[in-house]
Amino acid sequence: MSTIETPRRIHLERRLHIGPRRSALVRVAGLLVALGVALLALAVTGRDVPALGVEVWDFLSIGDSIGDSFGLQSTGNLATPILMDAIAVAIGLRMRLWNIGVEGQFYMGALAATGIGIHLDLADPLLLVLMALAGAAGGALWILVPAIARAYWNVNEIISTLLLNFVAIAVVNWLSIGPWRDAAAEVVQATPQVNARLPLVPGSLILHIGFFLPLILAAVCFVVFRSTRWGFEVDMVGGNPRAAAFAGINVPRRILTVMLISGAIAGISGMVHLTGVTFRLQGTISNSYGFSGFIVAALAGASFVALVAGGLFIALLLSSGIALQGAGLSVYIVLAIYGVVLIGIAVGEMASRYRLVTGRGETRSPGKRAPP
Amino acid sequence: MNALFGALRTAIDAGVIIVLAGMGELLTERVGVLNLGQEGLIGIGAIAAVISADLGAGPWVAFLVGMVAAGVFGLLFATSVVVVRTNQILTGLAVVLVGVGLSNQLGNGFQGSPVTSRFTSFRIPILADIPQVGPALFDHTVIVYLSYIILPIAVWFLLFRTRHGMNLRAVGENPAAADAAGINVTGMRLLYTTVGAALSGAGGAFLMLVLTRSWSVNVARSRGWVALAVVIFAAWRPSLLVFGAFLFGAMSSLRFIAQQQNWGIPSALLSTLPYVVTLVLILVPAALSRFGFKGRSSVAPGSLAQPYFREER
Amino acid sequence: MSSSDGARSESAGNGETVVEALGITKSFDDVVALDHVDLDLTRGEVHALLGENGAGKTTISNVLAGIYRPDSGIIRLDGEERHFRSPAAAVEAGIGMVHQHFRLIQPMTVAENIHLGWRDTPRLITRRMLEERTAGVMDEVGLRVNAAAEIWQLSVGEQQRVEITRTLARGARILILDEPTAVLTAQEARELFGVMRSLVAGGRTVVFISHKLNEVLEVSDRITVLRGGRKVVTRPTLGATPRELARLMTGEEREVVRDARSAPGDRPLLQIEGVTARGARGFMALRFVSITVNAGEIVGVAGVSGNGQTELAEVVAGLRRVELGRVVVDGADLTRSSSRRIADAGVGHIPEDRLGVGLVRTAQVRDNAVLRNYWSPENSGRITLRRGRIAEFARKLVDAARVQTPSIHSPAGYLSGGNQQRLIAGREALVAKRVFIANQPTRGLDVRSTEDVRGSLLEKRAAGCAVLLISDDLDEILQLSDRIVVMYEGRVLGEFQRGEADREQIGLLMGGHAGEAASEGR
Repeated sequence: MSTIETPRRIHLERRLHIGPRRSALVRVAGLLVALGVALLALAVTGRDVPALGVEVWDFLSIGDSIGDSFGLQSTGNLATPILMDAIAVAIGLRMRLWNIGVEGQFYMGALAATGIGIHLDLADPLLLVLMALAGAAGGALWILVPAIARAYWNVNEIISTLLLNFVAIAVVNWLSIGPWRDAAAEVVQATPQVNARLPLVPGSLILHIGFFLPLILAAVCFVVFRSTRWGFEVDMVGGNPRAAAFAGINVPRRILTVMLISGAIAGISGMVHLTGVTFRLQGTISNSYGFSGFIVAALAGASFVALVAGGLFIALLLSSGIALQGAGLSVYIVLAIYGVVLIGIAVGEMASRYRLVTGRGETRSPGKRAPP
Repeated sequence: MNALFGALRTAIDAGVIIVLAGMGELLTERVGVLNLGQEGLIGIGAIAAVISADLGAGPWVAFLVGMVAAGVFGLLFATSVVVVRTNQILTGLAVVLVGVGLSNQLGNGFQGSPVTSRFTSFRIPILADIPQVGPALFDHTVIVYLSYIILPIAVWFLLFRTRHGMNLRAVGENPAAADAAGINVTGMRLLYTTVGAALSGAGGAFLMLVLTRSWSVNVARSRGWVALAVVIFAAWRPSLLVFGAFLFGAMSSLRFIAQQQNWGIPSALLSTLPYVVTLVLILVPAALSRFGFKGRSSVAPGSLAQPYFREER
Repeated sequence: MSSSDGARSESAGNGETVVEALGITKSFDDVVALDHVDLDLTRGEVHALLGENGAGKTTISNVLAGIYRPDSGIIRLDGEERHFRSPAAAVEAGIGMVHQHFRLIQPMTVAENIHLGWRDTPRLITRRMLEERTAGVMDEVGLRVNAAAEIWQLSVGEQQRVEITRTLARGARILILDEPTAVLTAQEARELFGVMRSLVAGGRTVVFISHKLNEVLEVSDRITVLRGGRKVVTRPTLGATPRELARLMTGEEREVVRDARSAPGDRPLLQIEGVTARGARGFMALRFVSITVNAGEIVGVAGVSGNGQTELAEVVAGLRRVELGRVVVDGADLTRSSSRRIADAGVGHIPEDRLGVGLVRTAQVRDNAVLRNYWSPENSGRITLRRGRIAEFARKLVDAARVQTPSIHSPAGYLSGGNQQRLIAGREALVAKRVFIANQPTRGLDVRSTEDVRGSLLEKRAAGCAVLLISDDLDEILQLSDRIVVMYEGRVLGEFQRGEADREQIGLLMGGHAGEAASEGR
């Protein structure tokens, strides 16, 4: 009797449960590898990588106190909108809703806040509150149509929210160079300054208190999704909408609510950036923060801790890139590096969700049964 | 040629990039892969065409170089999402970043300078002599005719009249079933994702060699995203895609007419027209079908954006 | 009807051996699925592979069909030793398998599906050409389905016929059917048996994988029983008894449970009165349906799936709007109530699509355990959940329902199919303090799980609940119900008491032949 040998098949098998530690480790590994590749590419094309490193170090003034470090503070200001937008996206992602329109909602939030901010003149705290409400409303209204379309007509939200991004940018452009243009300042192509600003963090040069908002929000989200009924229900809908309906959850209404909240947060993000950094509304008020936020959220998965860490890291990366422009590294190269890093993390994310199985001899995870 | 037919002519030209990128994405999505990277791929195709023209290549060579360059990126993307199975949305966004970043970087210095190669118009005899309509419709570069006529027919024929095309559709609908039937799922997905990317590159090359004829930063100007939307509007059917692309072109050209004719509508707002119209065109059928009107089925290929694992069968 | 018997006695064990498998062994990691199994198949026979879930029936078939390569052992086809490198190679050699989960492409037509990946398909095609070729193939094979229909439009039985035609078209002489009746109604199963017999009459061999004793006895010529990856016996069907087969399958003497039941109560707990409701596609799925279930009673709803039964269950459970009529539970009118209010009122519901609707696979076992009562005051406050109480509840449920899981924090999708079913059934049984709706509760389950579920229905009955059992397994209905109603096209066509029910009459009503049943005058 001859025997037939089964060759060792190497294949990928999906894990259902990924330990948070493994998940984080693998992504970081992917990130580092990608970064390494990018730096290698830079070196190979003749750039002095160590010198670039020194530039970044100087810029961030890591040796000095934070209060004096302009570089670190500007990184913080950069991280704020990215993190806020990331949180907006992350809330949607818990229900498998991909809100790639955070950029547009950011713009509309800033627009609404500007509307209040340049036409009303009240005491700062009051005005800021009104502007924040306007910002939330602006963002929520901007996502309303895609939200209804998704909740009730099952229209894919990626494309619908995406298209509105361009419309938002165009509208803001038009307003800021047109009807709301600052007539007084001839050179500036933007609105007049808004009548309220966010106070700075005591002791700092440029870092505004809005920096803490996403951190607080992330903590709140962490608690909401771990301990509240509402958060539980959102996770159930994300896991299996039919089972959620079976559990008595009104799925379309929940989709609508979650998307509106996501839009509102992005809108507030716009208002915060307006009143913390730019002070005027202009067509370029966002430097793709929404895009970055989306990426951070998508890579962070379900973890808000990872989201904060990732957002801070991306802000650092972009901020260093800006610093390096002085050293001759164009912003485009930085973008390209960003892209490569993204791929690295995506590969890491994939690796953490699946594992390589080499035929027999692998230990089976508990609870798995043999195929029939 | 009066203003209306001038607009028609512009519209046709403006729509080409959407037809090319859109048809490419249609094929890619028909095998079940979502490639969000169009914006970057158009940039790659454009800069590759510009550079090769600068090195002395003729228009056809430059066009092909654009296609090949984007195709290479497409292959990298395809390998990543089909073989390594990274998340298609994230990887697509990475392609946008890398593509836009790289092409802008390489384009530094080419801004404003006219591209040295060009396609000349090809007048179709007799037809082009019809007053008004003739020059608008029948006096275009060859690429235009290829894009609006040859390409859609070829894609339609491939998908619906060949055995290979049937297999292609099967892969997109249900890769497990296709695999069980002996079709090479991985190979199909790699092939058509690459081909799709190459077509996007062709769009970028067309942009440089015919339409705007000089490099500028962010040369795609969001048209890659529009192409993605138009694929959905077209319900993954080549015939509707051509229509949608032309519609987009018409919206774009409307903006120029408005400026010329001083209609008084701000240009910035008019620039939103294509996006708004596309959005409406996506929403309306969905809304109507909810209220009972069953139009054509707008169902995405069954396995869109999902990686295929044989062992999970 | 009896032609099958005649054919059977002739061909049992008499034909030439067409496939011989010797000493087949196959393991997956540390689990041995097949342990030196021998099997032989003869020409012109229906050969049944009988066994419980996990016995190895599908594994050995997958080996024959080239899907798995055995760790050891040989396969001979027509006397010649063969090693199949892939399913395609096996198909080439004439062995084809129709799986439980069809490999069909829903939005494509029958003709397209049949021609998919088929060498004979011409390079250039048109829809009409494919349809004509398909009609030709179907005539050859003896099965008929509308070639232009898209798969999603077909009934399950028709889809199965498409799968069988696909396999036969590629020249399969040996056709392996994996649990084909699991998705069929009784009527369709009968038709399938007819097809099987005519195929073997033409000289082919059919391997029929099943765990259903009655069917195996009805249609096969020889039976091979597998247990725990080993072959127990191969014997002719003639003369085998269910009891003996059951014993061989499970390895133990199984007492047929004689259910000595007390009389059902007479207090109505569930009253469905004149209920009219629309189905998912917009048409009327229920028309003036009235059913009453008393405490301590099981009412069985017989009928072919798709005649309004699922909509009925959804209406009672609060998942579907009622246009006319009332649903009253223990005196309380719950017609317009939310599904939560109804669950709180003690109405449990095992849905037809258990795993698709009853479970969130990515969520923990703990979360799935409280899916139907997480909102109760014990389990949650106004905003937050009481995680401690929930964990306690989940542990108790897991114990009571005998769900095997490493911990309540494992994702539910990690459990085996049987354990997932136990989790759902156990959870719903807890919810069902007054009314228990079970919609196809044993469909697709193995013998042991089936008995567990039936046992729990009887327990509920004994505890005084009103049980509404919806099933297209008539044997199950006859065995368990105190009263039987038959549904057809959204109406109740007839009602029978236990004991006075007649299979044939019920069958007629299920098929809509109200007139004939009445005219039988019984």
